[in-house]
Amino acid sequence: MAAIRTFVKNCQIINRNCAVLSPLVQKHGMSQYPSYYIEPVHKKEMQEDLIKSGEIQKLAHLPTKAARNDQSSSFRQDDLVNLFINYVMRNGEKVLARGLVEKAFENIKRIQLEKYHKCDDEEKKAKIELAPRVIFHQAVENCKPILALTPIKRGGVRYQVPVPITPKRSQFLSMKWLIEAAKEKDATMRFHYQLALELIDAANNKGRVVKRKQDLHKQCEANRAYAHYRWS
Amino acid sequence: MLRHLNALVEPSVKYFQANNQWVSVLFTARVEAKTFSTSPQKPEPQLKKNVSKAMKAYLERAKEHDEFMKQQNVEFQIGKRHLANMMGENPDTFSQEDIDNAIQYLFPSGLFEKKARPFMRPPEEVFPQRKAAEFDETGRPYHFLFYTGKPNYYKLMHDIVDHINEAYKFEDTMIRKGIKPDPNLALDMSGFQWIDKESLEAELVETIGDKDYETFSTTMDRLYKLPYSYRSKDFLFKYRKPLMSHEKTYQAPKPQYDADGRAFITTYECLRKRARGHVTIRSPGTGKVTVNNQDLTYFAEVQSREQVSETVLIINNRDVYPFMEELIARPFSKKYDILKKYNMC
Repeated sequence: MAAIRTFVKNCQIINRNCAVLSPLVQKHGMSQYPSYYIEPVHKKEMQEDLIKSGEIQKLAHLPTKAARNDQSSSFRQDDLVNLFINYVMRNGEKVLARGLVEKAFENIKRIQLEKYHKCDDEEKKAKIELAPRVIFHQAVENCKPILALTPIKRGGVRYQVPVPITPKRSQFLSMKWLIEAAKEKDATMRFHYQLALELIDAANNKGRVVKRKQDLHKQCEANRAYAHYRWS
Repeated sequence: MLRHLNALVEPSVKYFQANNQWVSVLFTARVEAKTFSTSPQKPEPQLKKNVSKAMKAYLERAKEHDEFMKQQNVEFQIGKRHLANMMGENPDTFSQEDIDNAIQYLFPSGLFEKKARPFMRPPEEVFPQRKAAEFDETGRPYHFLFYTGKPNYYKLMHDIVDHINEAYKFEDTMIRKGIKPDPNLALDMSGFQWIDKESLEAELVETIGDKDYETFSTTMDRLYKLPYSYRSKDFLFKYRKPLMSHEKTYQAPKPQYDADGRAFITTYECLRKRARGHVTIRSPGTGKVTVNNQDLTYFAEVQSREQVSETVLIINNRDVYPFMEELIARPFSKKYDILKKYNMC
């Protein structure tokens, strides 16, 4: 039953994507809004910044999109965390995804607190980061690759050519690898706990994800000779 | 000698003149004989109009259009008076708004396309405006830019450039005097944009291409950005259109008052997916939120709770006094399909 539902959903996704190929829609993908609509600004500080810089004059006369359900103007709101929750989410189960990420943050806090209380050295104690959000940001930052390999065909042979990647793609890869690493776990282990461990490791610049990034960089360095294939 | 001849001939001339006879020949001959000049006098040619058929047809059409418009105007004025009479209003003070209301009352229409509904408007708005005859019978055009094909458009472009050059000249004189431009006088066009292509075409009574419209836009931008553009304020303001502003387009509902004298607003039938609800906001309030006579814990999901409490946050963040209390009644269906919030910039 569930399988049939997912199959139907995938068909719908394919149908939707076919429409995207039409040039008219390609302009702004599957957005319901015309291209001149602007994103809403929730946080009060950001609004005040806009007022100070004078940007608000240009934006005040443009129509804004409706606020999304996961956006709020609370101080606990974090755009990167929301994005991460969306990447964790599968089959539209936002509640589950959000629960998992929140539990992961809770686990990070517990682990860090344990470390903090066990530590005797004052200097080391001060260096232990307790805030899960900070660790999360640090982890994502540390796992971002700079270059990636793309297959380029020359003379019938496919070479893996190192190419630079955009910051957005880099951030996406970082978060995707973190989630993939958290999924590679023992059957008895929980996902949210494994994710917490991965995040803490990545924030300290060690662990599986950072190794994956470094391996990729080594490969890029090794394939340096093919770099000019980018431009043929 | 001639004088005597004249005295003899004159009575008979007068008689024949009265009967429109061939006296004119005699007369002209007499006149010519009197004149003494060295240069030969050219006979005045009869004005024979060498108008080509195309020109004739064009002039005819232009005249026809003018007459047609006049006729339509007369009909419109009479029709307006009839309509006013029908509605029992004073025909002299019957405005366009009154006409629209009367037509809506007399011919109620449920058509979705508003432009397809019956209307009564002055003929200038209904019939596409055509230019008056652009050249005279000899074929000489009145407008000096007629041969560009779009005389009004290019005249407008010339005008903009004239204003730009004037601004440059003025700037030069100010620089020589050592005076800087006053930033307070600088024009602020942040809430405005240039009139759109259709309006410009209607004003110029000419069809212009997209490229021409772009050129117009960029040239106007260039003029507006100059430091002394405020001197051409009237010219610029003619071609600008205000952008929409949320405050002007959105009409806030009026608050009602309950038995305690507290103001409240209830929005009925708020919907999102399959959820339906009514939202009541009271003022002055306590910041408490009640959902279906329960606490905020009615929503098991944190996201839904965040969304509801955000309304309180927004209002408080904007330092709006007094605080608001919210009451949502009867949302049913999936609990996390919360009522969609439209932006509250």
